Amino acid sequence: MKTHRKKRLINVLLLSFLSGAGVLMVLYALNSNLDYFFTPSELLTEEVPSNRRVKVGGMVQEGSVRREDSIISFTITDYSKTIDVSYTGIVPDLFKEGSGVVVLGYLNNGKVDAEKVLAKHDENYMPPALQDK
Amino acid sequence: MIAEISHYLSILSTAIFMLTFSLVLVLDRSASHATLLIKRSYSHAFILFLISFLLYVYLALTDNFSVSYIAQHSNSLLPNFYKVTSIWSAHEGSMFLWIVFLSLWGFAFNLHNDSNLNVKNLSIGIISIIIVGFQLFLLVTSNPFEIVLPFAPENGADINPVLQDPALAIHPPTLYLGYVGFVIPFAYSLAFLINGKKSLDWEKKVKSWSVMAWVFLTIGISLGSWWAYYELGWGGYWFWDPVENVALMPWLAATAFIHSLSVASKSNVLRIWNLLLSIIVFSLSLFGAFIVRSGIIDSIHSFANDPQRGMYLLAFIAIILFVSLGLFISRFSMFDSSKNIKSLSKESFISLNNIFFGVLIFSTMMGITYPLIYELLYNQKISVGAPFYNAIYAPITILATIMLVASIDSKWGRPIDMKGSFSMLYISLAISLIGLIAIGYFVGNMPFIIMLSIFMGLVIIFRYLMLIISNIVHKKYTNTPSALAHAGLGLLILSISANSILSSEKVFNMKPNEIREFQNITIQFSELELLNKSNHDSIRATFSLNTEGKQFYLSPEKRKYFARGQITSETAIKIMPLKDIYLTIGEQLDNGQWVINVQLNYFIRFIWLSAAMMALSGLIIIKNIIRRRA
Repeated sequence: MKTHRKKRLINVLLLSFLSGAGVLMVLYALNSNLDYFFTPSELLTEEVPSNRRVKVGGMVQEGSVRREDSIISFTITDYSKTIDVSYTGIVPDLFKEGSGVVVLGYLNNGKVDAEKVLAKHDENYMPPALQDK
Repeated sequence: MIAEISHYLSILSTAIFMLTFSLVLVLDRSASHATLLIKRSYSHAFILFLISFLLYVYLALTDNFSVSYIAQHSNSLLPNFYKVTSIWSAHEGSMFLWIVFLSLWGFAFNLHNDSNLNVKNLSIGIISIIIVGFQLFLLVTSNPFEIVLPFAPENGADINPVLQDPALAIHPPTLYLGYVGFVIPFAYSLAFLINGKKSLDWEKKVKSWSVMAWVFLTIGISLGSWWAYYELGWGGYWFWDPVENVALMPWLAATAFIHSLSVASKSNVLRIWNLLLSIIVFSLSLFGAFIVRSGIIDSIHSFANDPQRGMYLLAFIAIILFVSLGLFISRFSMFDSSKNIKSLSKESFISLNNIFFGVLIFSTMMGITYPLIYELLYNQKISVGAPFYNAIYAPITILATIMLVASIDSKWGRPIDMKGSFSMLYISLAISLIGLIAIGYFVGNMPFIIMLSIFMGLVIIFRYLMLIISNIVHKKYTNTPSALAHAGLGLLILSISANSILSSEKVFNMKPNEIREFQNITIQFSELELLNKSNHDSIRATFSLNTEGKQFYLSPEKRKYFARGQITSETAIKIMPLKDIYLTIGEQLDNGQWVINVQLNYFIRFIWLSAAMMALSGLIIIKNIIRRRA
C-alpha cells in the first residue's frame, strides 16, 4: 500500500515537473517570437534591435508613395512623427495615401524594410493605436 | 409581415426548447411516455425554428429590404445563390444559421433511438438548454429580424465582393456544422455523468457523431484555406490568423478525442480523459464563436466590435464550463484508476500523442491570448505570428509522427514484441531515406527541421503502403480509414515542407507586349482589356506563358464593384502536376507599367488533397459503424 502511494506521488511530481517545463518552453518560444506593435513616435523613442521583427501602424502620408522598379517606398505617419518604409511586391488593394496601413518588417538605419504590408479589409479602418488621436 | 412571422416563430421555438428542458427536469426520464413527450417537444421546437429560418431565406431571396440585416448585406442585383449566402456573410445571420445547425444535430440525435432512456432524455435536455442560451443571445444582442422604419431602403448595401465566391459560400456553413456537432458528445458525456453508471459505454455511442462533426470541421477549415489561397492574392494557405487558430484548436482536440474514444472502446482505459476531452472540444468550439463574434482580437475576419455580445458569450461559456467541470469533478470517484496503460502498447502511443495534441492546443491558445495579457501587463501592443507557431508545431508534429509510426507495430493491451519482425518498418525507413536523399539532390540545402519533416512524412506514407500490401498478401484485415487518414497526414507534412522550401515569387513591372523570364517560364504581357460587368468594372490583363514546351494564357483581374466601390484583385492560377503558377496584378505606375506578381507554389494542391483523404476516412468510419449496427 505504502509503495503504491509513493509511486503515485512520484508520478504526480514528475507530471507537474514535465508540464511546468512544457509551459516554460512555450512561454520562451512566445517571447522570442513576438512582433511588437509600434506607432512611428514609439519606434523613434524606444530602442529596437534591428534583428527584432516589428509591426508599425499608422497612416500612409499624402504624397509620400514612390516607386522604383519593383520597390515601393512610402512614409507612415501618426500625425506627430513619421517613419519611412520600403517594400518589394504588390501592396493590397486598399492601400492608398491617407489611409491606414500596418507593415511587418525589420528596422534598418531608421527605416523599415517591410516583409508584409497589410491594409484592413475595411475602408474605415484605423489602426487601434491611432483611434484616440 | 413575413419578417414578423419569422421573428415570432423564433421566439416561440425558444419557449418550446425551454419547455423541453423543463420536461426533462420534472418528468420521470426512464419512462417511455415521458420520452415520447420530450422527443415530440424537441421536434416541434426544432421545426418551428427551421420554418423561421426558411422564411428568413425567403425574405432574402425576395429582396425584402425592410429587414435591416438583409438591407445591409444583400442587393437586388445579386444572383439568387448569393442572396441566400449573404445571410451568413455577417454576424446576426451567421449566428442564426449556427443555432439552426446546433438544433439540427440535436434533432438528428433525437430521432435516433437509444436503449438508455434516462441518458438520452438528459442529453436532449442539455442540448435544449444550450440552444435556449444561444437563441436568447440571438434575439437579445444580435437580432436579425430588426425592421427599418418607417420606409425600407430601395436597395441593399450588397455583400462584400470578396465573399461572392462559391467556396466561401459553403465554407462557413460547413465549419459551423463541425463546431456545433460536438454538442452531441458533450451532452451525452454530461448525461452519462449525471446518470452515474460506469458500465454504460458512452464512448461507443458518440463515436459516429464525433467523427461526423470532425469531418465537417476538416472540410470547413480546408475550404477556408483554399478560398484564402486564390481569393486574397497572397498565395499562402495558412496565415496563423487568430480566427484560423480558433478553428484549428477544436479540430486538434477533436482529433485527439476520436483517437482516445477508440482506445476507450477497445480497452476500457482513458475514460476520465475522454470525458474531459468531450468538454474541452465543445468549449473550444464555443470559444471560437466568442473570439470571432466579440471582435476582442484584431483579425481580418473579425466582425463588428460589440462588447455586449462578447460579454454575453463569455458569460455563457463560463457557465457551461463551470457546470460541466463541476459535474466532472464531483463524479470523479465513479472511476477507479486501478487499470493502467501498459508501456509500449498501442494505447500508450495514442495516449502520448494525446499529450502532444494537448501541447499544440495549449500553445495555440497562448498564441491567441498572450497579446491580450501582454498588453494588460506591459501596456505594449504585440502580436504573435508564424515564427512562434512554426517553432512549436514543427518539433511537436515530428515527435507525434514518431509515436504514430511506432504504434503501427504495436498491439492493444500489451507491449511491442521486441523479438518480432520489424522488417516492414526497416524497409519503409530505408525507402524514405533514399527518397530524402533524392529530394535533397534536386533541391539542395535544406534546414534540418524540414529534412526531418520530409523524412517522417515519407516514412508514414511508405509504412502504411507496406501495411496495406502485406495485409492484402496475407489476406488480413486492414483498418482502411486509419491507413487513409494517416497516409493523408504523411502527405500533409510532406507537402507543407516541400511547399515551404520550393515555392518562390517575383515582382515585375511590365507594359503590354513586354516579356520577362522567371525560373524557366517566359511571361509575355499580351493584352489589357476593360470589361463592364453587371455589378463591377474590371481591368483584365492577359499573359501568355511558356514553360516546358507548353504555352497557355493567364488573365488576372482588378475589379471595382459598384455597390460599395470596393476594389478587389482576381488571381489567375495555372495548375500543374507539382506546382501552381499564380499570377496577380497590382496597380499601374506613372510610366504606364503594371506591377505583376508571379508565384510558384509547389505541392499546394496536395495539402488540400491530404485534408480530403482525412475527411474521406471519417466518412468510411461512419459508414462502417452504420453497417455494423444494421
